Amino acid sequence: MELVNKFSTKFAQIKKRNKKEHIDIVVRMFFLISTVISASFILIIIVFISMKGIIPFITDNNGIGSVNVIRFLTGSIWLSGTAFQSNLYSVGFIIINTLYIALLSLLISLPLGVLTALFIAKVAPKKLAEFLRTVVELLASIPSIVYGLFGSGVILVFVYNFADVLGIQSKGGNSVMATVLVLSLMTLPTITAISEVSIRSVGKDIEHGSLALGASKTQTNFKVILASAKSGIFASAILGIGRALGEATAVSLVAGNAKSGPTLAFFETTSTLTSTMLEGLKETTGIDYDIRFSVGIVLMVVIMLTNVILNYIKKKVGNVDVK
Amino acid sequence: MKKVTLALMAITIVIILGACGGTDSKGFETSKNITVYTRDTSSGTRAGFMSGIDYSEAAEDDSLIVNGFVIKDNTGILTSIATDEYGIGYISLASLDSTVKGLQFESVEPTLENVINDTYDLKRPFNYVIREDGDFGSEEEEQISKAFIAFLGTIDGADIISDKGAVSLDSSQLWDDIKADYSICLEDNSTITIKFGGSDSIEKIAKALTEAFAPKCGDFVPEHDHTGSSDGFKRTQGSEKDGDNAKHIGFASRPFKDTEVGANDTQGQLAWDAIVAIVHLDNDLANVTAIDLKNIYSGAYIIWEDAIN
Repeated sequence: MELVNKFSTKFAQIKKRNKKEHIDIVVRMFFLISTVISASFILIIIVFISMKGIIPFITDNNGIGSVNVIRFLTGSIWLSGTAFQSNLYSVGFIIINTLYIALLSLLISLPLGVLTALFIAKVAPKKLAEFLRTVVELLASIPSIVYGLFGSGVILVFVYNFADVLGIQSKGGNSVMATVLVLSLMTLPTITAISEVSIRSVGKDIEHGSLALGASKTQTNFKVILASAKSGIFASAILGIGRALGEATAVSLVAGNAKSGPTLAFFETTSTLTSTMLEGLKETTGIDYDIRFSVGIVLMVVIMLTNVILNYIKKKVGNVDVK
Repeated sequence: MKKVTLALMAITIVIILGACGGTDSKGFETSKNITVYTRDTSSGTRAGFMSGIDYSEAAEDDSLIVNGFVIKDNTGILTSIATDEYGIGYISLASLDSTVKGLQFESVEPTLENVINDTYDLKRPFNYVIREDGDFGSEEEEQISKAFIAFLGTIDGADIISDKGAVSLDSSQLWDDIKADYSICLEDNSTITIKFGGSDSIEKIAKALTEAFAPKCGDFVPEHDHTGSSDGFKRTQGSEKDGDNAKHIGFASRPFKDTEVGANDTQGQLAWDAIVAIVHLDNDLANVTAIDLKNIYSGAYIIWEDAIN
């Protein structure tokens, strides 16, 4: 009798465990499927863009001739010759423009965003912090076309007049500076929001330790808390620069879409990979259309490389190492 | 720390205030560079403008335009010129407003009246051509094509044309007034395909017109294949009229050439595409010639003194 009992409890246990394992397996499969779906979209997009984008290089484009890859990647004029009849496309200078603009806008938005985040997380009274956090979240959700309209309506006029005060004749404000200002505005909320979370998650013990050692609040904030949160701050910079590199609509409204370059002067017109892709996209055909997908490949590679490099730097500097 | 913050704030405020009130005092200086604004190479307005100033080579070739030009869309050019004292650009006449100065072209004011009475010259005609009588595939196709041409001259058609930014010709009748003359439109034409071709600058207008007209004419099926003005005549009455690409109705965004004269009553005009060169309100320039504009866009004129005589 005892034996039977023992067996039956054992059996029940196995059955129970099996049921649990079954649920486990089902849930795991469910996760796997959603992962496969979302990951495969990225793959499908990459494959689609690559397949379209490679056409100008491997076919003769209906008699125009194939595009030379090296010329494409290094040249300093977008298109030499007549559109639809020429294969002399280049994006070399546009790559430099894009990186230059993204870097400059990060130079403005990173310090500004981190200081704002520090204020919200550590300095501001609770109610004000709550309010500011909502404001930042709202800013982050404003669509880019709205920033573009603001840029072309307000920032262009500002830059034009600013240049005039400096004695420089700008081209209606369409310039590197206007683009950088618009992009800084756009990346600011992203950087602020993520930095703020990482600053808030710095352990209280570190902060208290610093204060107990006699450091002032300001010293603690700058030398201890920011240093501890630098991994998160770096992550915010990576996301910020991703937005800056990928923004098309707002940029194309204020950049002036220069066709040659690179442009380093603040008040000269410029162009980015995305604004070049967008320009005339809805009207054009043939090689002039396909080449935009090639620019898309270049853009994806640029973003990927930037992310890899920044992530590498982040790993180097990102450990909590309070000096 | 406080002092630094205060100093920074003071500097920022001075810069912003300075920038806001900067331009009022000086007035227009003719020694400044001309900033050239243009549409991108896929734009029909650009093609029309360049052919109007006798610089058609530059319609699709950016390298022929003076260095440092700015590419913007129609609205972008309008708003930029409203700001940029030293800019010059061109827009379709329909978008001209009082925020900028529309330049006289060869001493003629850019107005709708002057376009319609054919004195303002920075424009191009939108023309159509249909097949010769009896040379359509069937009687029905001929009737529908002719009904469509009649529709072009109605107020309904004119509304669609103006809606797409072109200048329609004078019209007095509604489609409802004349539709009795076109009994074909009362029948069910949903199996009949009418092929449209020719100028790609007219494509948008042509598509809007057929979209509105097909339901009024027995739901015939419009097929658009716009490949360029020279194919308009070629594929209706010219060398390709019996080829695979033959069309019932062709369009040309320029006058028909001497070699493109068709049979009687098969050709006509549906609209004008008028373009206006614009500058900032403070600009001293009031009148330009085609040669002036060509010199400005090709880079022969660099500063405003060159253009203002």
